[in-house]
Amino acid sequence: MAIVPEFLIKRIYQKGSLKKLEDGVSLVLKNVLGPGLISGFNFVKINDVLFEPKDVKFITNGVEYSGADVSEENPVVFRLGQIGTLIMKGKECIVDGLNKITIEAMNPEAGKVQLSVDDNKTP
Amino acid sequence: MEISFDKYSLIIDGKRVFIKSGAFHYFRSPGEKIAQDRFRKMKAGGYNAVDIYFNWNYHSQKQGEYDFSGIKDVRKVLKAAKDAGLYIIARPGPFINAEVNAGGLPFWLLQKEDVIPRNRIGTEYKYSPRYMEYIAEWYDHIIPIIKEFDNVILFQIENEYATDTMEEDYMRELYKMARDRGITCPIFHNDAYFAGLWADCVDIYALDLYPYINPNQNWKQDNFCFDTLDNVEEIFRGAKEDSPPFVAEMQAGWFDKWDGQGYKHLREALGDEHINIMTKTALSQGVTLFNHYMAAGGTNWADLACDEVYTSYEFCAPIDEFGIMQNNYFKAKEINYFLESFDFTQTEAKDFDFYQENIYAKMRHDLTNDCDWLFIRYLTDGTEAADISLPNGKTVKLKPCDMKICPVNLKLKGCEIEFSDVEIFARLKNEDEETVFFIADENANIYLKDGTVISGDKQDYEHLSFGATQFVFLTRKLSDRSWLLEDKIIFNADYVLPNGAVALEKNTEIAYFDLKNKFAKKTYVVREDEIVKEPVLAEITDIKFCAPEIDSGYDYSGWTKIKDKTDSLSCSLFDEFVWYKAKIPNNLNTITLSARHLFAVYINGKEVLNRNSYKIEKLQDVPETISIPLTEKILNKPVNELTILVQNLGFDKGFSGDTNNPRGLVFFRTSPEIPTEFSVCEKLSLERCKKYESENPYLTKITSYFDVDTDENEFFAKYVSFKDFDYKRATIFLNGVKIGRYIKRAHVQDKFYLINEFLKPHNKLEVVIWEKDRNIKSPWDFKSEIKNVKIIIGTQKLYKIFK
Repeated sequence: MAIVPEFLIKRIYQKGSLKKLEDGVSLVLKNVLGPGLISGFNFVKINDVLFEPKDVKFITNGVEYSGADVSEENPVVFRLGQIGTLIMKGKECIVDGLNKITIEAMNPEAGKVQLSVDDNKTP
Repeated sequence: MEISFDKYSLIIDGKRVFIKSGAFHYFRSPGEKIAQDRFRKMKAGGYNAVDIYFNWNYHSQKQGEYDFSGIKDVRKVLKAAKDAGLYIIARPGPFINAEVNAGGLPFWLLQKEDVIPRNRIGTEYKYSPRYMEYIAEWYDHIIPIIKEFDNVILFQIENEYATDTMEEDYMRELYKMARDRGITCPIFHNDAYFAGLWADCVDIYALDLYPYINPNQNWKQDNFCFDTLDNVEEIFRGAKEDSPPFVAEMQAGWFDKWDGQGYKHLREALGDEHINIMTKTALSQGVTLFNHYMAAGGTNWADLACDEVYTSYEFCAPIDEFGIMQNNYFKAKEINYFLESFDFTQTEAKDFDFYQENIYAKMRHDLTNDCDWLFIRYLTDGTEAADISLPNGKTVKLKPCDMKICPVNLKLKGCEIEFSDVEIFARLKNEDEETVFFIADENANIYLKDGTVISGDKQDYEHLSFGATQFVFLTRKLSDRSWLLEDKIIFNADYVLPNGAVALEKNTEIAYFDLKNKFAKKTYVVREDEIVKEPVLAEITDIKFCAPEIDSGYDYSGWTKIKDKTDSLSCSLFDEFVWYKAKIPNNLNTITLSARHLFAVYINGKEVLNRNSYKIEKLQDVPETISIPLTEKILNKPVNELTILVQNLGFDKGFSGDTNNPRGLVFFRTSPEIPTEFSVCEKLSLERCKKYESENPYLTKITSYFDVDTDENEFFAKYVSFKDFDYKRATIFLNGVKIGRYIKRAHVQDKFYLINEFLKPHNKLEVVIWEKDRNIKSPWDFKSEIKNVKIIIGTQKLYKIFK
């Protein structure tokens, strides 16, 4: 059982931020929960397409992190109110209309934190 | 007592009151005398309220039975709080967390198949009518007791509760149940997610704040941990505009875990800076009700602990497990006295345009004192002080991780302070005059409106007069030893009691000050000689092998036979130690089992496996299943006797896991698979019966006797130390009461509080050592080795109290 209720985790996702890129997709997260560290990206899944940590990039405060490099030893500081962009490349995944997005990340205190939302592609 | 509130503060009998509370667990600090001692120390430290969790499980061991007698008499605890002059914040759950076994839910309740604890499975809401019926039963027992005390000012329902969909039925029903049973004070909940949860279901919105929960984190460097606290006023106003900002749990320490780094590390990591920053930042955010969690640490004696924590629940609290005041107590005292001296119940945030890296600055306008207060903080893990140039032209020098409250345009009787970064310790005043006590600081100044600049570089008791106002300076060292009573201050005492009694460790000259008589001095002689009793090696008078259950041929015909599930809940076995015995044939290849948490398997009286299966990762239990190959040498009889001893370290506390996660023998299977009929029994044999001697050496009991001189005019705390103990596991009994679990870990607890409540003039200390087979060459040698085991009994502190 996750420590943080799902409805609170959903608040991290910025509605309407899902964008198709030339070779992938991006979306925006905002930490509205509290002070925090991300100590790992387990996966991002958009519809049925799975992106492993190596296919995920997280850009925050002007620094780009590869999902594979983020770990308990090398966490990303994600402060209250801070915004970050997740970029997934290399696979077609986005559809017109509603897209199912699942992000699973790690937090040193809460353990596994999974965010599941639906969102439309932003034109 | 009439209690109301507005957006600023609580109003008691028409008067605004700033609530300075601290948490105390009566179940972890058992007995009326300990409660009296801790409450008096809290009051002496400037607290005016105590937060008390009521632990349902502690009072109801069996369904339908409630015990509020003897050390479980909560009336005595509540009376002790009242006698000490403290308000009470009552928190009867039903769920309390508090790192207690099953979060405070009774074990019998966890067994009920038609009960869904806390109306949720995982984070999914599932309303359970039967659960609500049992809560009604608990409330019917505890609320009438709480209602007997008119100093109860706040009442909490549930604790740190959330579900995915946030249905309000449960919380609204709890609220109604409390009101229907006569609770008239404001009701609140404690939101662990600081997200405005349940604000509409209660009278006052409250939250808990723990910026430092990861011992690997350097909070001084990772200053983002204060992000929520730094914006908490916005959270309060967003959640419930018309209720006062209330931090129902404000971090004053943190608990250590079995796999933690030890309380020494935690205390050093937190320092006294953390409580200073927490409390002052909260004040800067308009908080007028806070509760330091914990104010006084406690002990997980008997089976109080959840699986995460060991015996000590020291919590790095201002008053430690032994009842000794620590550095963060003195820091909390300093802030509490300041709040006692200046009414802070009505303040408004004021614009203050200032930015400097690593500096937090916040201005508040004080509607009561018609002045401003500047809160200024410097957070760094460096060692250099910061020079902070303020817009008013003044420069403040702050040490790393320091925070100050600076008065701005503070009108006193005889002068006006334009600005001061020399901090105020306390003030005594009457209609005609006042004395303000400052904490001397060589890097700080007091700027008066008339242009006078007073350096904070002062010696103890240096004073200046400005008409009806007198300034007196105290060094930090003396201010720690200075005690504010209603109309006087006592200086240079280790501590004082609210009635003015002075506690001293050694011969001391005490000073007194009050407005009428000014300073007076008196010398107290604690003892003519300076000899303090040294710790002594416990003399071992008796060594016995004490687990006859393991012996072949042990008569267990009277034990309960079980058929299907073997786990503790299914078998109604809630004690720490559970025995399982069964007959198995000699044609088995393996047995496979999973047990929580420590266990050993014996066949025909010989150990075949001894395992510590306790593991928590990412806040979750890590299950472990083990197969044991069985040879002809092990199964050396046609019908063999299997004995399994399981040590349950406690049920999950229910915050991030489920309280009814199984314990005991969770899984058992033989190969080839045959039905195994177990007989079960709980507790160690020495707890169950008088005849407990045995032939096998696996559990060995050593006994020692020691005397304690008790004197009504003394405060003492005694300990038993296992610092030089060579064995891996031990269970400690004081006069028959289980007071500690010793399990060797990297940062092990090796000093155990000999809880005063269980001490007698002549005491029996019993230690049961549960050793692995490989460490026992022969029973005879083992017994000889144990004769040399080193257990030390000592006195942590001894104060003489002068009434």
